[in-house]
Amino acid sequence: RMEASCLELALEGERLCKAGDCRAGVSFFEAAVQVGTEDLRTLSAIYSQLGNAYFYLHEYAKALEYHHHDLTLARTIGDLLGEAKASGNLGNTLKVLGNFEEAIVCCQRHLDISRELNDKVGEARALYNLGNVYHSKGKNVASAGTHDPGDLPDDVKNALQKAANYYEENLAIVTELGDRAAQGRAFGNLGNTHYLLGNFRSAVLAHEQRLLIAKEFGDRSAERRAYSNLGNAYIFLGEFETASEYYKRTLQLARQLKDRAVEAQACYSLGNTFTLLQDYEKAIDYHLKHLVIAQELHDKIGEGRACWSLGNAYTALGNHDQAIHFAERHLEISREVGDRSGELTARLNLSDLHMVLGLSYSTNNSMMSESHVVENSLNGTRPRVGRRHSMENMELMKLTPEKVQNWN
Amino acid sequence: SQPLTGHQAAELQSKVVPSKQILHSDNMEMEPETMETKSVTDYFSKLHMGSLVYSCTSKRKNK
Repeated sequence: RMEASCLELALEGERLCKAGDCRAGVSFFEAAVQVGTEDLRTLSAIYSQLGNAYFYLHEYAKALEYHHHDLTLARTIGDLLGEAKASGNLGNTLKVLGNFEEAIVCCQRHLDISRELNDKVGEARALYNLGNVYHSKGKNVASAGTHDPGDLPDDVKNALQKAANYYEENLAIVTELGDRAAQGRAFGNLGNTHYLLGNFRSAVLAHEQRLLIAKEFGDRSAERRAYSNLGNAYIFLGEFETASEYYKRTLQLARQLKDRAVEAQACYSLGNTFTLLQDYEKAIDYHLKHLVIAQELHDKIGEGRACWSLGNAYTALGNHDQAIHFAERHLEISREVGDRSGELTARLNLSDLHMVLGLSYSTNNSMMSESHVVENSLNGTRPRVGRRHSMENMELMKLTPEKVQNWN
Repeated sequence: SQPLTGHQAAELQSKVVPSKQILHSDNMEMEPETMETKSVTDYFSKLHMGSLVYSCTSKRKNK
């Protein structure tokens, strides 16, 4: 039997990657590189596909290495289109690795060459990539602090505004080209950029477009993303009922798509939304669903969040035994994962709860007796639980930006 | 240093989403990246060598 040639190995690698088996594809491409070829264009194509396969496998250091090889090779042989593509891929990889400045240089190179070659498709794709880099850059800086959408330092705002501009530029071209799939992607990310900028109405408009296109294509994952993003935007518009409807659709689709992690996320969002609607029974129902999946997926952070949320909801209902149970669990998990602020919050909650219970046990007819607290909460009045009460108000205020005009 | 790495990862995550502010989880759903693609067959078809690729492919299929 004859030894397989570099080309044959590469073709098999391509076939496997197209079939969705990147791991096996990588083996064939690496074997092809081992065999080697004199043909630098073939080698460039192999490097590029190796880079992409590693990218999809989330092995970004390897992806970076191969896209860099590809770029060097493309420049060596004077393949301008090849250089543009390699630059774009390198830019995307650098973005994921958090190296935004170099990512911008690479994506800009992709854009410049595409314009030079009058390649409209390439130009649009480079604009989308640039938008993504600026979006990530803005989000990255923003998440280092504790800002809510719309409440941002200038450098974050600048980066996000640039992202929005690039998405708009991309949209102009792909609309002209009639590329609906590309329009869908741009609308989705543009919507998320408006959301972070605090332009919640614009975010809704963009995500509605995204939803429309997702339905056109029967793309249920994209449809689910749009519902979830619409829910988020309506929360910040103070329209909690509408938000809950979108989150319910997210949940439906997550179940249909059998994605447990997304299902958990939807339950968590619904729990929070019903907390905002002060329907604590429903909130507890969804937070419990979230808790079960978080445990199933061994997601400790998620489990901690669920316990924290459940503790708050049970406190709101005056069910202090359950509240203490979940606050204790929250404390345990916070310690386990090394979440110091979570640990502190849990301690404060517990001491508040113990104080309330202690008082109610010692002075049966006092104002603070447990029955009185329950009665209060049944009448719609929040039980007074000291610090927790004020902290919860703080949370609700954070959730309700001042920009909201029609806030009742 | 496996536990240390896990601990650091958890701490990093808790910094991103401090548990005090988790009432909304801010889980934005981004659209996928688009990667540029190259293929060894693109190159050959450009050089009008499609027949070579065809023979390679059919040879493999016959194995």
